[in-house]
Amino acid sequence: MLRLTLAQMRRSLGRLTAAGVAIAIGTAFVAATLIAGAVITRTSYDAVAASYADADLVVTSDDSVSAATVEALAQGDAVAAVDGRLSTWVELSNGSRRTVQQLVPVASDPRLDAQRVVDGRSPDEAGEIALPPAVAERLGVGIGDTLTAHVGQWADDAPGAPADGAAADGAASDPGVDPGVDPEAGPRWVERTEELTVVGVVQDPYGAYAQSGGAGVLTRAELEQWAGDQAVDGGDLTYDSAVVALADGADVEAARAALGEAVPADATVRTKDEQAQVMTAELTDGADVFTVIVLCFAAVALLVAALVISNTFQVLIAQRTRTLALLRCVGADRRQLRGSVLLEATLLGLAASLAGLLLGTGAAQAALWALGRMSLEVPLPATVSITPAVVLVPLLVGTLVTVLASFAPARAATRVAPLAALRPADAPAVTQRRNRPRLVLSVLLTVGGFALLAIAAVFGRSLGDLLGPLVGVLGGALSFVGVVVGSVFWLPRVVGACGRLVGRGGASARLAAANTVRNPRRTAATSTALLIGVTLVTMMSTGAASARVTLSDELDRQFPVDVELADGGAEQDGAAPLVGPALLSTVRAVDGVELVTTVAQGPVLVTATDGATGSVTASAIEPADATALLRTPSMVTGLSPDTVVVAQSLAQDLGLSDGDTVSVSGTETDPSTGAETAAGDAVQRTVVVTELPGGVALTPTTFSALTVPDAQDVAWARLADGADPSRVVPAIQDAVSDTAVMVTGAAVERALFEGIIDTLLAVVVGLLAVAVVIALIGVANTLSLSVLERRRESATLRVIGLSRSQLRGTLAIEGVLIAGVGAVLGIGLGVVYGWAGAVTVLGVVGDVSLEMPWGDLALVLAVALAAGLLASVLPARSAARTSPVAALAVD
Amino acid sequence: MDTTVYVPTDRTGAQPDRDRTTPDVPAARARTLSKVYGAGGSAVRALDAVDVDFAAGAFTAIMGPSGSGKSTLMHLLAGLDTATSGSAYLGTTETTRLGDAELTRLRRDRIGFVFQSFNLLPMFTAEQNILLPLELAGSRVDAEVREWFDTLVTTLGLGGRLTHRPAELSGGQQQRVAIARALIARPEVVFADEPTGNLDSRAGAEVLSFLRRSVRELGRTVIMVTHDPTAAAYADRVVLLADGRIAGDIVDPTPESVLAGLDALRSLEAPVQGTPQRDGVTR
Ligand SMILES: Nc1ncnc2c1ncn2[C@@H]1O[C@H](COP(=O)(O)OP(=O)(O)O)[C@@H](O)[C@H]1O
Ligand SMILES: [Mg+2]
Repeated sequence: MLRLTLAQMRRSLGRLTAAGVAIAIGTAFVAATLIAGAVITRTSYDAVAASYADADLVVTSDDSVSAATVEALAQGDAVAAVDGRLSTWVELSNGSRRTVQQLVPVASDPRLDAQRVVDGRSPDEAGEIALPPAVAERLGVGIGDTLTAHVGQWADDAPGAPADGAAADGAASDPGVDPGVDPEAGPRWVERTEELTVVGVVQDPYGAYAQSGGAGVLTRAELEQWAGDQAVDGGDLTYDSAVVALADGADVEAARAALGEAVPADATVRTKDEQAQVMTAELTDGADVFTVIVLCFAAVALLVAALVISNTFQVLIAQRTRTLALLRCVGADRRQLRGSVLLEATLLGLAASLAGLLLGTGAAQAALWALGRMSLEVPLPATVSITPAVVLVPLLVGTLVTVLASFAPARAATRVAPLAALRPADAPAVTQRRNRPRLVLSVLLTVGGFALLAIAAVFGRSLGDLLGPLVGVLGGALSFVGVVVGSVFWLPRVVGACGRLVGRGGASARLAAANTVRNPRRTAATSTALLIGVTLVTMMSTGAASARVTLSDELDRQFPVDVELADGGAEQDGAAPLVGPALLSTVRAVDGVELVTTVAQGPVLVTATDGATGSVTASAIEPADATALLRTPSMVTGLSPDTVVVAQSLAQDLGLSDGDTVSVSGTETDPSTGAETAAGDAVQRTVVVTELPGGVALTPTTFSALTVPDAQDVAWARLADGADPSRVVPAIQDAVSDTAVMVTGAAVERALFEGIIDTLLAVVVGLLAVAVVIALIGVANTLSLSVLERRRESATLRVIGLSRSQLRGTLAIEGVLIAGVGAVLGIGLGVVYGWAGAVTVLGVVGDVSLEMPWGDLALVLAVALAAGLLASVLPARSAARTSPVAALAVD
Repeated sequence: MDTTVYVPTDRTGAQPDRDRTTPDVPAARARTLSKVYGAGGSAVRALDAVDVDFAAGAFTAIMGPSGSGKSTLMHLLAGLDTATSGSAYLGTTETTRLGDAELTRLRRDRIGFVFQSFNLLPMFTAEQNILLPLELAGSRVDAEVREWFDTLVTTLGLGGRLTHRPAELSGGQQQRVAIARALIARPEVVFADEPTGNLDSRAGAEVLSFLRRSVRELGRTVIMVTHDPTAAAYADRVVLLADGRIAGDIVDPTPESVLAGLDALRSLEAPVQGTPQRDGVTR
């Protein structure tokens, strides 16, 4: 049987190759994903291991390692050096250049130093620092230059009352300290500045501090001082872990046992490698999730490949009917025929998976090379690591999928009657066997699934954050399986109906239309393969579009303006306010900014006639400016010197409605009680309640009549209509980056989430594209199978007057019909799923707007149609080349 | 036994639709037509410098043993295959010089085909199959065509079968549909390659008498390849082929005269050109 199988495979090599490519791509996807997961794990391991430098032992604890433990370790036998590991983040500046940098202490032993000094030296005394080259460049400093560190600290004080010794000392000696006045009692964040001299440049060759691009180095004493200052609790100094270097020739295991005795019970002593493994396992939990998610997409690709395989085998069996029948005549039993088909599938699966494995490994290696050349800050391994899992899983999965996909065709092979050998070979008749269980299953799944989906969409909010989406996903998955399982019943009808429409267009079109419905199962499987990918892509795109608009609407409700610029720096006495004419003109100059105005803001006390009061932020703006600036001008309708615009929330709290009179005044906090009291004179104004997101809006005239001690100017900007926030907002941020101005607002949030949505969408669509590519291979495969099967028919048509171009046209229309129907139905389904998903997931955010991403949909359709056309090119060429004489040949 | 050297027959008066050929021009002609399949040692000379004329308005059969080159001759005459040397004419058109597009147009307008295995399209009904050549040519089905269609359907006895698909028709019915398809565009010549090869003798007799009627009553020209002497006897004339050469010619054949001619061929190991044959078969 093996020889026969091999002989048959050789005869069908072309068909099998096309099907093999589908499986190979799917397998390559799996292999590349696994390799990527392994690379992430390996990179984390390397980084973790690098951070312990050449330490022999690492001591960790459930909580943190105390100074006493480090002390105890240092007393141990054979211990050459011990360092408690800690780091702190401090803002460094040189003039207007600033950066927030991770700082670590100088190692007490070179073996414990993860970084290398490449220029200058390590800091020897307080006031010295060594920097990574990139940081030195960013700050524009070299060896010998000085820079300023902004060391923060929590001051737990009433005004003027020193909180603890360290802060008080600093305050006394350093004029840069601003004790500040905060109306609210409680711990405050105050900053002091320290001058540092750059004494060296350090490099981080193994990526120990890759996330921060290398760490700056201070003396241990100074670093521990600063870290203590910046700690929230300000308690005893503790370390993340301690690293130990042993004396030369010391026995690591003996030292480990000895040190294990010396440290508290909750501390653990591990070798560096053990510790790196433990840490990596913790860190790469995320990488595993990543691998699993990407493997889900690989599964979709493999499912589509399975459809292509199943199709191919079905046609091969049909073509071999006579041979199979002949074999039955000469004594082969059903088992042998089935065995032959399954053997063929196994061989194909193995060969294709092997090719896919090589392809995937090659792609991963190429990606590594490309990334390596881009010199990222994360040191990547130079070559992919081939683990048994990376080899075996893709091979097994690819082969298994191929064999599973060939089950149905193998069963068909056993159904060939020996009699078929005696019948003249005819083209398969136009018949369709009814499969009732399949129909019932499909209807149940589809109806049930969509019912669940509807429930999730309508009652999602009352089902809760977890159950709602869960029901939705379940409903979506069930209904989609139902649709796919049932496609053989309805898809050919849809294709037929479309074909009849197209068929008006002439002889080629009518032939194409008639041909597509000749083999419903095959047409359905081919279209379905494409439908799966298109549905998922459309779903993602529609969901993303709906999310974008829904979140935008919600942001417009939450933020009155596109962009607000406020002084976000630490309070500093005597400095000129950051928001002023200079800032306005800087921002106004940014491309895409339409309008910028300063708005005075400050806390005010609103008192209703019945005595109810509320302390809120008041924004002072001219009505005309407000109308031009706000995305929703109705937020300030009715604003005039005689009125105060009140947010609904405040109106509710104080029981206010339109036309009521309130008194508005500045506010002061009583330092001893914390209660807010009116400051200065109050003014009487008429209330206008609007959907203002919060606080009150009044005119500058009203505001200037009040005494508001903490009044501050902010700048409000409106972006030009059609300007892309994800481009303009970073431009604004860049323009003000050398000041401590904080940029907030709807556009900022929008730029942020649109960036996230776009990136996610691009990644997901990229992953799904693999499935679509495989499906298009399937379309080409189906067409070329049809061409083979209809060789004689095509030749007959040529003899009775079909021209070459008409023949090519027929196949092109057939390809476009199959692909087009798959794409259109996929788009329809995808939009429904996308909306259902948006309603279910975003329902908690607010009212969901259902959007049609017309551009994306048109693109998907155009790609599918063009690909259908393209898929027909090769089969059509081979069909047109066939000489009409073949029509007259009798077998 | 009627033994005659080939003389162009004079039946042109019965051909109302013949507009591209004049009465004296044969419907199809071969001049030193040769076809070699393959090359080198395995080359097969399927046709060897054949000269033959096929009269318009006549029913001519090409006969000969299997492998004698009958099908090859017909393919070359119909412009389905390219000749190695020599020329073939359809009326006054030299088909051996035409390109694919011109040949396609020629097949649409001037040639009809009937195949041994019917070659109907399984997804179309009988009527759709018959009208297919017109549709491929993009011509409108007007009243005149309808009338011709009805004539064909009546003559071929297909009245009740027009909405059936090929799978629902008997072999004889399928072949009659194929004949109607071959005639629908009123071609100058209908070529038929073993049209009765897949039929039982009764259905075969039916098909042959329809072919003869289409010549006698509808004024068509039919060239038929067959290896069955009974079938050949329906023709007005039989051209005998052996080893790629014309080996004889029988006018107004009967099954007996055809058999005798074939026997004469068989008794020769290798026919020698110019040698007079016994029993009225002349070279
Ligand atoms: N496509 C082909 N390739 C090679 N040889 C061929 C081909 N077609 C026919 N022949 C050879 O040419 C000769 C004549 O064939 P054909 O015209 O089909 O004969 P007939 O129809 O009289 O049986 C035969 O020897 C046959 O083997
Ligand atoms: Mg033949």
